Formats: sequence, structure tokens, C-alpha cells
Amino acid sequence: MVAAVACGGSGGASSTPACDPQCTDGVALLALRDAIKLVYNVTLQGQPVGAQDKTTPCPQGGTAHVHGTATSNADQGTTTVMLTYNLSQCHYSQVDSDPSHAFDVTLTGSITEQGIIAVQPSSTTSLVLQSSSMTIAGQVYSPGIDYKETACAVLLAQDGSNLSGTLCGRPAGVTL
Amino acid sequence: MVEFRWSERGRRTACNPSSPLLPTGSLVSFFAAALALALALMLAAPAAFAQPPPAPLAASDAIVPPRLVSEPAVPYPVGASGEASVVLNVTVNADGTVRAATAAETNEPFSSAAARAAMGWRYDPATRGGRAVAARIRVEILFSPAPAPGTAPATGSPSAPAAAPERAPAPARTEEVLVRGAHEEPSRTATLTRAEVRQIPGAFGDPFRAIEIMPGVTPIISGLPFFYIRGAPPGDVGYYLDGIRVPYLFHVGVGPSVVHPAIVDRVDLYPGGYPARFGRFSGGIVSGETVAPADTIHGEYNVRLVDAGAYVETPFDGGRGTVLLGGRYSYTGLLFSLLSPSTSLSYWDYQGRATYDLTPRDRVGVFAFGAYDFLGQKLPDGTTQTLFGTQFHRVDVRYDHSLGEAGTIRTAVTLGEDLTDAGDGQSVRDRLVGVRTEITERLSPVALLRAGFDAQSDSYDVLLNSGTLGPTEASYASYFPTRTDLAAGMRGDVVLTVMRGLEVTPGARLDYFGSQGATALAIDPRLSARAEITDRWRLLWAMGLAHQAPAFAIPVPGFQPGGLRGGLQMSAQESMGVGWDLGAATTATATVFHNGFFNMSDALGVNQSQPSGCLPGSFPTDTLAGDPGGAAGSHTCGQRFAPGTLGPDRSGGGGQGAESAGTQSTIQALEARTNGNAYGFELFIKRKLTEHLGGFLSYTLSRSTRDYQGQQFVAAFDRTHVLNAAAAYDLGRNWRAGARITFYTGLPKAPDPTDASTRLAPFFRLDLRLEKRWPLKGKAWISFVAEWMNATLSKEQIGTSCTLQGCQATTVGPITIPSIGVEGGF
Repeated sequence: MVAAVACGGSGGASSTPACDPQCTDGVALLALRDAIKLVYNVTLQGQPVGAQDKTTPCPQGGTAHVHGTATSNADQGTTTVMLTYNLSQCHYSQVDSDPSHAFDVTLTGSITEQGIIAVQPSSTTSLVLQSSSMTIAGQVYSPGIDYKETACAVLLAQDGSNLSGTLCGRPAGVTL
Repeated sequence: MVEFRWSERGRRTACNPSSPLLPTGSLVSFFAAALALALALMLAAPAAFAQPPPAPLAASDAIVPPRLVSEPAVPYPVGASGEASVVLNVTVNADGTVRAATAAETNEPFSSAAARAAMGWRYDPATRGGRAVAARIRVEILFSPAPAPGTAPATGSPSAPAAAPERAPAPARTEEVLVRGAHEEPSRTATLTRAEVRQIPGAFGDPFRAIEIMPGVTPIISGLPFFYIRGAPPGDVGYYLDGIRVPYLFHVGVGPSVVHPAIVDRVDLYPGGYPARFGRFSGGIVSGETVAPADTIHGEYNVRLVDAGAYVETPFDGGRGTVLLGGRYSYTGLLFSLLSPSTSLSYWDYQGRATYDLTPRDRVGVFAFGAYDFLGQKLPDGTTQTLFGTQFHRVDVRYDHSLGEAGTIRTAVTLGEDLTDAGDGQSVRDRLVGVRTEITERLSPVALLRAGFDAQSDSYDVLLNSGTLGPTEASYASYFPTRTDLAAGMRGDVVLTVMRGLEVTPGARLDYFGSQGATALAIDPRLSARAEITDRWRLLWAMGLAHQAPAFAIPVPGFQPGGLRGGLQMSAQESMGVGWDLGAATTATATVFHNGFFNMSDALGVNQSQPSGCLPGSFPTDTLAGDPGGAAGSHTCGQRFAPGTLGPDRSGGGGQGAESAGTQSTIQALEARTNGNAYGFELFIKRKLTEHLGGFLSYTLSRSTRDYQGQQFVAAFDRTHVLNAAAAYDLGRNWRAGARITFYTGLPKAPDPTDASTRLAPFFRLDLRLEKRWPLKGKAWISFVAEWMNATLSKEQIGTSCTLQGCQATTVGPITIPSIGVEGGF
């Protein structure tokens, strides 16, 4: 279980970090994507199609504002979105038995989300997420590793459950 | 505790029947006016009943006092001198053992010596109408010193002259017999004592675990301690211990009960039409009573594969006070560390009780008990994530005043805390304060008043990660706000001996409910009757209304919806039965019942049975890629979300507030209110399990239906037949073996075009028990006990799962518990 996720192997020897920089970037991406997903689900899920504009407090502090348009096809189980998320000191954490799915981060910045969200976590979801300035600070992995990227550019594509792209110019990816 | 107290002095009453009766014309047919009647009787009864002589006794009421059958010798106390007389109050259990022996007046060291010896006596128990009942007798013991050095120590004897060479003490005599009548209440379908429960295979000696064998009880899944009782869901069943409400009775999963079994004297099941003292529950009532304080030191212990427990009780201050301490600790974590290293499971419980007799009629006491359960998952960083953790604690401070043989008054204050930790920082805490006063008073020989008042305040502190919940989940979470609820009730009933062999009990409750500014009042009339047809046959009848605040699906500490949203639940309960004594310590009851449910919270039973996945021949049109269906439990053949709305983002499979159709359906069920009916037939035949060959047969034939959203259907956990049968046999040389079978009809089956059956497969299991007991010095004993619940390793079908290839039953189990342990007592 521990070794089955994006970060790959884990540390037995003390000289090998349990989660290398590529791994921590992956966990940070996961945190960003999960935060966006959470904001969407608690604000827009179940809302009527059309223009959207909602604000919600983040679980551990800060706020998230989402606006844009979204439509759906219930027969096909898809929702087409063109949304912008403005995150302000949005604090979100997650405890998980999988160390590469554990994080405690604060997010600040604006990011857009365009594409199709499908109900099934199969190959049907197709999204592009883009930000010119996103700050991610906190701890990632378990046991926690300090992580901080300030005003960072993000360009991600989600195909099904696979998320890949660049984070601060570095290639990064994670499986949701 | 509901008991008909029967008093007899020297059996004179039994032999001196008189005739006059209450005027009864107005007592027959006014269920609707029961409240007014009860109140009128309470007020008028002393005057109305003062003059008539005692009601005549039916032949079946004839009382035979206990008869001493064991060695009666009482050693003359070492160091004592002179003659002495000690009068003991001896309580003799229905099985002939002595429960308590107390000197009426202190005369040391004689009184202690007499009481100590009396605890070891054995009696032929008292009988009432041929049935063994508990009794309290007064016994005088005369002590005389030995005549000269070198002779054997003198003794006292309660029933026979001492040996001739000694200066024999005068034979003692029984002065008084007080039989604690065991009239079954018409609404109480089954009572099991600890001694009997010990012999029930699969119950592991736990009185509360024996609930599942009682008629009218329908298990959700074999072995799990959540039941439907006459169609009422688990959340509507009230659990009491010594009149104190407790949130649950069992440790996590299939664990043992939350109090040490040896301190539970008996467990009663009231499936409907129960006495007025039970309120604010609209389903059945499970009521446990702890053993009475004993005036000699005694205790029990047990060590099993998964846990160990013990309790000890000792008197102090010459028997005026007692202290009891008990508890249990599970070391299941050790086993789980071997079987499932990532899982953490533990539980413990504790009990403490102290009593002190301020005067012969006044007793103060405190009873504290609680339980803890934890299920967690170990994380790589060494911490443990809570998956489910609960605990509850109760401290009950009581003052009991005896009215002599007329009755008792109890006033009590209860403090408590319920806590559920749902993990991820989510928790619910309930701090409660309750007061209650209860009076039981014999107003006249034909009228017994039982009345009381109680109030309880519950302060809930709720921490839910509402920010991570989806809209539907958040909506339901709002049902559990931080707040303070108040409930109060007053009640009364009168047990009237209307005529020879006919007992009628009208009564009523008035309850107030308040939460978040919402309030409700409920009036619950109750009426029961018991009629002796012959010495061996009697008719039993009970009916009543019962109201309850909205409830969660199953009892979870602190999980009480607030605001009385949706209004009170109500049930109308009625039953009629016949009881008969078959002789040879064998009794039977047969009952027909009907319960009507109105505005009921029944999250488990409201959903009609549906398959998970798509039935053969149907194609899931709601996926882009022709996904053949989701995991078990989801319903993927319908639309994934409502048209015209935005669907969830389930990237990664869920979480982060994403709601599936299954989640929304579950929450809809939790919020649902339904009407329904349950009706059926119950049969319970029992030969005392402590007999050489004992056993029971418990059978329920029933049907439970629901009306919901314009449809009527069979409730999801309806089982047509439920059968439990057991036998325990004394193999000799203190070996005792037992076996029990459990059978019940399968659950209603989801429509399946490939299978015409309407039910899942029935379930059958076999439980076994073997005990070897070794008597030790004095009253001490030790036993080896091997027990195995579900020795047949039977699996249970709980649903139907379909794919494009076909449908098949979803099974759980086998839920099986083998146990080996050592038990002992002194």
C-alpha cells in the first residue's frame, strides 16, 4: 500500500528520503487538486446549471471563491465547466494511511478549470487547470515534510485519474 | 424493575382468603380514559381500598416457603461466650441459592457468623402456584456455647437441633416469609436470569447478549447486537440498566456487553405495551437489573482469549455498607497485531457501586459505570487514525427509602457523558444530567401504585468537518447541531387486583420534549391485564402508545438529531397472549401482536431492496464508456445526478465532499419518515436451563411493512420466521454441555429477472458450549468454558449484486466467535 502510489518506493535506509522532491511536488499537486475538488463539491455540486458564483470557508481556515459557468448532461453523467477558483489562505489537510496522500497545506492564488468532469473515475474526465501564481505552503507526505512554493505557475491536465503537467516549471504528476 | 410484590406472614394470608372485590364495572373498557383513571385511582385508592379485606388468592397463588436442604450448622464464633440469638433476613433466589443474608440487629460476633454461614445454605426454593420464586425469609438462630472444654464447638442451626453432645442451640424457626412475586407482566415476553444465560450457547454468559434469543427480536445480521423488535428499528429500542438509560449494551462489533455479566441479575424484554415507567422510546425496551448488594464478600473473574474481567463486592461497617468494583479489559489488540497489523481495536468497561444503610429503612448509594470502544488504523508515521471511537459514563447517586412492606421510594441524580469520535477531527459529545424519583407503594391489598417523575438535560457539543461535506451530507449534518435538549416526563400506573385471578394495570405517561426551540408534548396511555384461567393457564394482554423524538438509525452515543425535525415518532402497540405452566420447571407463552408505526425514523428499513449494479438485460446508459456498473452498494443504472444540476467531481473515486447516488439515497433514508405495521405470533417455551436437562424454544412468525412515498412494501429487514432453540445437559461430574440452533428467513430480495424467489437464502447457525466446573473450598468454584458461536461457519446473504453477466447474492461472514476461557467465583 505504501509503495503503490506516485511517490514510488519508500525509505528503508536513512540516507534515502522517504519522499524525494518529485514526490513532494506530486503530493502538493494532489493537495491542490483535492482542494479544488472539495470547493467544487461543497459549493456547486447539485446546483442548477448556468452561471456560478459561490464562496465557501476552507476546512481549516481561509476562503475559496468559485465563479464561471457550468452545464451538465445527467444521462451521460458529465458536467462541463469553465470555472475560476480564487483561493485565499485556504487551509486544507488530509490524513491518510497512504503517506503520499497525506498533506497539510495553505493555498493562495487563482486557478482556472476547464473541461469535462465525469462521474466515473474512468478515462472520461478531461480537464485543464492553469494558474499563473499559486502559493502552496505547509507539509506534505507522512511523516510531514516541509513544503513551500511561492507565486508559482501551474499547468496541469487531468485525464481520468491521472494528473500531469508542470509545477513551477518542473514536470510533476500524480495519480488521484 | 417491575415486580409484583407479594407478602405472606406465616402463610396466614394464603390460607385466609376473603371475598370482597373492587367494583369493576368501570375498569373494563376505557383504554382511552386510562390516564384519568390512573390519576383518580392514585388519589382515591387509599380511601377506597382501606376497608375491604385482602383479595382472595387464587389456588395458583398458593405460596410454599423455602425449605432448607443443605447442612444447617453454624459454627460457634471463636472467642465468643454465652448464649445469643440472631435473626437473619435471608433472601433465597429462585434457584435455591442464598442471595443475601443480613442480621436484623447487630450482635457480634454472632450476627456475622450467622450471616456468613447462611450464604452457603441451599434451599428448595419458595413456590408460588407451583412455580419457583425468590423469597425473603426471617430465620432465628440461637447460639449456645459448648458445655465443657474438649467438646466440639457449639453450633447454631436454623432448622434442626444441633448434635446431642453439644449444648445444642435451640432450633431456629422461620418467622416470616416475604415472597418477591414473579408475576410476569403482560408486556414482558421473556426474562432470563444470569444463571440461565450462562448456559445459553453463543451468549458467552452475557445476559444482554441473550436478547437475541427472545421472541419478537429480529437480528439485522447474525451476531451483531442491533435488532428489530416487533418491527421497531434499532434506533427506537431503549436500553436501561437499573433504570438508567444507556446508549448501547455491547462493545464494538460482536463484543461482550458493557457491564460485567456477573453483576447483572436479570434482563427483561418488553417488546410493546410496556409499563408506564418506560418512556420516550417507541420501540421495544431492554431492561437490565443489577444484583442486590450482598453482605458477604464475594466476586467472580474470567479470563478469555480476547479479554479478562472481574468484580468483587464486600460489606463494611458490619454489613451496613457495601462496595462493589468490577471491570473488563480487552487485549484484542494483541490478536489484531498478529492478524491485521494495521488495525487497532480495544475496549474496556468499569463498574463501581457503593451502598450504605443510614437506617434500616434508608439507604444511599452510588452506581458508576462506563465503557470505551476504539477501532483505528495505524498510519506509517506511527500514529493511529481513529475510525470509530465511543465511550459513555454514568454516575447515579440514589437515595432509597423503604416504606416497609408497603413499598419503596427512590430518588436519584444521574450524571453522564456520551462521546463518539468519528475520526478526522469529528466528534459528538453529550453531557447529561438527569433526575428521577420513583415510588412503588401498596395502597391496599388490591392496589399497587407505581409512579414517578424524571427529567434529563442533554448538552451536545458537535464537531463535524462540515467544510468537507457535500451539500446533502452537510444538510443532514445540520440535524446534529451543538445545543441543549430537555426532556421530562411523569408517569403512573396502578396494578389492580380486580377480582380473584384478574389483574388490570391502567397507567399513563406525560412527556415533554424540547430541542432548539422546538417543543412537543406526548400523552401515552398504557393498559395491561393478566387473568388466571386455571392454576396453569393465564391470559396476558397489553397495549399502549409510545412517543419518541427523531432517532438515528442505530444507537450511537451522542448521535441524537436535534430540533425535533419532522416531529415525534409514535407507535401503537398491542398484544394478547397466553401463558401456561407445563410443570417440571417448564413454562410457555404464546403471543399475537400488532404494532402500528407513525412518522417513524427507520433508515435501515425504509429502502426497498434493490440490487447493486445493473440487472441483466439492462444497460447502463449513464456512462460514456458503457461502464458495466459500480461497486457493490451503489446503484448505477439510474441517472448519476438530477437533470439540470451539476454533477459531483469524483476524481480519484470520491472524497472531498463528492456524493454518489448511493450517498444521497442513504441520507434520504436517514431523513425519511415512514408509517408501517408489524404483526405476528411469538412462542417461547423454556425449561430452566439450570435443570439437569434444560432448554428453550423461541419462535417468531411476523411481517413488517412500510408505507413510504405512496408505496407499501415489506420492510428491508423483515424476516418471516425467526427460530432459536437450545438445550443444556448435565453430563455428570460437573460437566455441562449445550447446543443452540438459530434459523431465520432471508431478507426480502431485490427484483431479479433471472430468479423468481422473493427472499434471499435463509440463515442457519449452530452454537456450542462445554463447561467443566470444579467446586473449591467454601463457595469458591472455577470453570473451564469452551464456546463457539457459529460453529457451522455459516455465511449470511444480505443483498444482491448484478453485472451484465448476471446477479448473485452478496454475503457476509462467516461471523464466528470461538472462545476458550476460565471463569471462577468465590
